[in-house]
This record gives sequence, structure tokens and C-alpha cells, in this order.
Amino acid sequence: MEATLDPVLQVIALLAIVVGSFFSLIGVLGFVRLPDVYTRLHAAGKVSVFGAALLALAAVAVGSLGLGKALVLIALLVIAGPAVSHALASAAYRTGVPMTNAMRDDLARRRGRSLPFAQPSDPSSDLPV
Amino acid sequence: MLAYLRLVLICLVLFLALTENAEPANIVLGLLIGVLVALVVRPAPDLLSIRRLPLVLFNLARYTLWLAVDIIRNGIRVARIVLDPKLPIRPGILAIQSEMKSELGIALNAHAITVTPGEQVVEIGEDGVLYTHCLDVVASAESAEAAQRTRRRLMEGIFR
Repeated sequence: MEATLDPVLQVIALLAIVVGSFFSLIGVLGFVRLPDVYTRLHAAGKVSVFGAALLALAAVAVGSLGLGKALVLIALLVIAGPAVSHALASAAYRTGVPMTNAMRDDLARRRGRSLPFAQPSDPSSDLPV
Repeated sequence: MLAYLRLVLICLVLFLALTENAEPANIVLGLLIGVLVALVVRPAPDLLSIRRLPLVLFNLARYTLWLAVDIIRNGIRVARIVLDPKLPIRPGILAIQSEMKSELGIALNAHAITVTPGEQVVEIGEDGVLYTHCLDVVASAESAEAAQRTRRRLMEGIFR
């Protein structure tokens, strides 16, 4: 089975697996290391989608997944992923989950309140808030 | 009526791509699902005309390609931040002026920003301002205006 595979396809699959796994790993690592809800959503919600899309491409190159099916799946992932992370971030902001070390908050300014969040450590003050 | 037909066809193609099975029974099933979806969704008429379809598809492909490059570039940036032992994040919320006219345009604009690693729309103002949470608000504030101009130019090719 292995010997019948096109070497070009194998190289593509190998690259896609390595890069896709790398970005999935980054997503998990970011989720653990980053400090608050908003920053964690960056890692979990999007970098991981990128990883999953590449792994799906690898499955097309060497596995039995059809190209059309994979493209539809990737499109659905890419459309639904940002919608989910936006919904979570918006809900977190509305319920007042604090941002850690926020440097700037244009949304709070528009709503006519100063930085609404408790600032656990001193944000660098040389930036406009 | 035409809008309904178009939606049914799109659903059918999606269904056939997902099931990878072009038997008559499966096509009938896909049509039924398409009709069901169309009845629930109630598509707005005249979203785009058939005559402009090739141009719109071309612009859509160009937009998707630009978005893919943007995602990869920012993905690498975020990966570098996460892997850095010092974790050099400067989080904050930045207001980006969308200036798209239709609701669909603003939604697509918000999606384009959110799908890019390191930036994500938290709230949309009534005036179409996108309040965007950034991992590195200082760097994003510098590049946001130019990026938004490119995004708007590409998206206007799709909608008008």
C-alpha cells in the first residue's frame, strides 16, 4: 500500500502533518500559557482551526478522504470557528470578565466608562488608554 | 423564486460533495434537504445577479487567497508570541472603522478580522465600528488601517 503512493503526495502530506500538528500544539500551549479568556480564545479558537485544516489536507493526500468533502469541511470550520470565538468573547465582555493587563480599551471609552476592569498588575502607562 | 432555486442548488452541490455519492436516490435526498433548508432560511431575493457571477466568483477567490496569506502570516506571529518564554503580549481592544454598507458586508468584515490569529472582534457598534481584541494591540494599531483598506477593497469587489 505504502509503495503505491505518489512520492509527491507523500511529501505534501508529511509537510501538512508536521505544520498542522505544530499549529495544533501552539493552540494548546497558548491556551495554557495565556492569561485571560480573551487572549486564550485567540490560541484555542483560530490557530487550532488552521492546524485542523492542514491535517484534513494531509488526509486527502494520503488517506481516503475525498477532496470535495475535505474542502467543504475546511470551509465549515473556517466559517464556524470565528463565529464561536466571537460569541464567547462578546459574552465574556458583556458579563464583565476582566482583561489582564489591558493596555487600551476603545470599547469601554465609547461606553463612557473608564477602564472597567480591575487591573491586577500595573499596565504600562506610556500608552493612551 | 430564483433565490430559492439558487439556494436549493447550492445545498445540493454541498450535500453531494459531502456524501460523495451521485446515485439518483442520493440526489433526490439532497434536493429534499435543499428545499427544507430554503424553506427555513427564506433567502433574500437579488443578492447577486447571474450576469455578475463570474466576476464575483473571481473576486471571492482573490479575497480567499489574500485571507489565507494573512492567516498564515499572523499565525506565525502568534506562534512566536506563544513560544516566547517571556510571553510578550500587549492585549487591548481597538476600534476599527468598517465602512461597509450592508449588514452582510460588515459581518464578512468581522469574520475576516476574527479568522486572523491575534485579532478578534468582540463587539460591533451600530455605526459599523468593529471593536477588536488584539493580542498585540500596539502592533495591530499600526497595521490595522492599511489591512482594513485592503480588506475593504477586496470585499467591495464581491458586493458591488
